[in-house]
Amino acid sequence: MNDSLEERLVKHVVYANWAIFVLASSVGLYLTPAPFAMGIICGGLITVVNFHLLSRTLQSALDPRPGAGNGAVVGKYYLRFLVSGALILALLVFKIVHPIGLFVGLSVVVAGILMALILELKYVFSKEAR
Amino acid sequence: MEATALSFFIAAVTAAGFGIAIAAFGCGIAQGIGLKAAVEGIARNPEASGKITTTMLIGLAMIESLAIYALVVALILIFAHPQAGAIAALLGGAGH
Repeated sequence: MNDSLEERLVKHVVYANWAIFVLASSVGLYLTPAPFAMGIICGGLITVVNFHLLSRTLQSALDPRPGAGNGAVVGKYYLRFLVSGALILALLVFKIVHPIGLFVGLSVVVAGILMALILELKYVFSKEAR
Repeated sequence: MEATALSFFIAAVTAAGFGIAIAAFGCGIAQGIGLKAAVEGIARNPEASGKITTTMLIGLAMIESLAIYALVVALILIFAHPQAGAIAALLGGAGH
């Protein structure tokens, strides 16, 4: 209830990511051909999992408490990026997904962040108006 | 015809290379600036670490998605170009 603005924002972003992912996947599955829907699902999963891993890496790296583990941060960061790149390469090279569908899927986190910001702004303005 | 097809393919690969290079350059600078500011903020006020980290996380995710978009466009240009079939047929036809 008494979450700070930043904690609330991240929570909203995480919920918005999953909500948009589920919505986009369902719409894709019902309305578009299989490779396009597959692109939305694979792209969405890659980017949402990426966001979670980035969050965990940053929280452990920037924790100022003594003894907090911040080893191998750079290694983890590049490993994550390499794995994402390899997955996207495999999806495109083996023509498992439609490129535009993949593009839509990869936009899930950006859309989630924008949606969370809009929700947060709405909350702040409604609070100020009261 | 063969030369035109080949030059088209070379242009696509060159565009992919330059595209990902420019994207990596821009995103690298942007992430560096963000990280520098965050580390300075935490060094000045370690208690604000959580707040700074969460705010930076959102910024870095936005910046990183731009690099991933550029990667996807570069890979599409090289491996999944919409005209790749036609160009390959043209090159194959010219070769025989």
